[in-house]
Amino acid sequence: MPPILPFRRNRLASSNFEDILRPHVEFLYRLAWRFTGSTADAEDLVQDVLIKLFPRTRELSAIDKLRPWLARVLYRQYVDFVRQRGRSPMTGQATEAEGDDNPLDGFAAAVDGPEEQAERSQLHERILRAMDRLNPEQRAVITLHDVEGYSLVELEPILDTPLGTLKSRLHRARQQLRALLAMEPFSGGERVKE
Amino acid sequence: MNLTCRDSAASLDDYLDGQLDAPRHQALEEHLQGCPQCHLQHDRAAALRTELRALPAPAARPGFVNEALARAVRGADSATRHARPLVAMALAASLTLAVGVAIIVGTRPVSAPVQIVTLTLDQPETLRLRFNSAAPLPAATLSLTLPENLELAGYGGRRELTWQTDLNEGGNLLQLPLVARGAVEGDLVARLSHGESSKTFRVKIEVRSPSKTGMSAEPLAKLQSSRGTPWRT
Repeated sequence: MPPILPFRRNRLASSNFEDILRPHVEFLYRLAWRFTGSTADAEDLVQDVLIKLFPRTRELSAIDKLRPWLARVLYRQYVDFVRQRGRSPMTGQATEAEGDDNPLDGFAAAVDGPEEQAERSQLHERILRAMDRLNPEQRAVITLHDVEGYSLVELEPILDTPLGTLKSRLHRARQQLRALLAMEPFSGGERVKE
Repeated sequence: MNLTCRDSAASLDDYLDGQLDAPRHQALEEHLQGCPQCHLQHDRAAALRTELRALPAPAARPGFVNEALARAVRGADSATRHARPLVAMALAASLTLAVGVAIIVGTRPVSAPVQIVTLTLDQPETLRLRFNSAAPLPAATLSLTLPENLELAGYGGRRELTWQTDLNEGGNLLQLPLVARGAVEGDLVARLSHGESSKTFRVKIEVRSPSKTGMSAEPLAKLQSSRGTPWRT
């Protein structure tokens, strides 16, 4: 005979959804901020992802390793987000500078003093500005591999890209980033994006 | 193995990632020792790698996590509400009928209006009956009586079905896959009994012929509302 089922699915779903996602929202936000470099954009991105995921609550509860799966969803949303916004990161290939004035020089050794910390903070700002000029695919592979520490094998399913393509994309992204850093003036304006 | 500066540049990432085989690893190190320019590129690449790993990221502002989760739930509900009329128009395949049974264990009858749903001839559609119960009703008895030309998919031409079921407190959903085989005269009757109490629900069925465009056409038959006796105790 036709079974009678509990009907309070919405309340259960919202409760389950929050239980499942709450431990990962900060992670999603951090990743979104690294992708976009902006508080407002990161919040929008995470919000869009969560709205998309709510109807899939049942699917979420069955996923074994949720964090890489969420990273994949966020990445796709980020690529769409960039294209919809019409942001146009650098499309050409920057050439690595041969000159002596490179902000990376002298940072290989550990430095701990206040002045060095201030310089390091300035260098981080410059790196972030340079990352703003990468295309979304390059920025994602740098962010997930070099910043967040995912291996390329782990990134294959997250970025839905074959290993060989990822390796060459990472290589080009690093080259591009080094070249952009060398090109960027040291006294560049504040990186203000809200 | 002697490497050129071009070889060195091409192998630098793999070297820093620890991905080079032993002979190439050694060859690159020898080249770096003898080539100041490639050595500089190596140091810059290594420094960038270190600084990328150390890049700070701000935490979400206080309250964002709660707000974002709440908005996601509200947003999805809102989207569903907005989509409902379109879905109903496009598919007409899932019809919901809310039926209150809040005082099913009481003795005072309360009239319930006859609900009307429209089916398309020969097209299976799911009628969803929602029973709201103020208390759990274990081992309740549910009986269905189907009018002529209305079939419950999977049960052949059976017009009477009775079975026992447990109702939870709150909402309980019964999904009935129905097919109208012709003009339907009479109501689908669901009778829920528990202990000495029972309640009867009537659903008036209208049948429309399928149109070429998939939109509903005129009803095959339209019955007058018949309230009957909704309560029996």
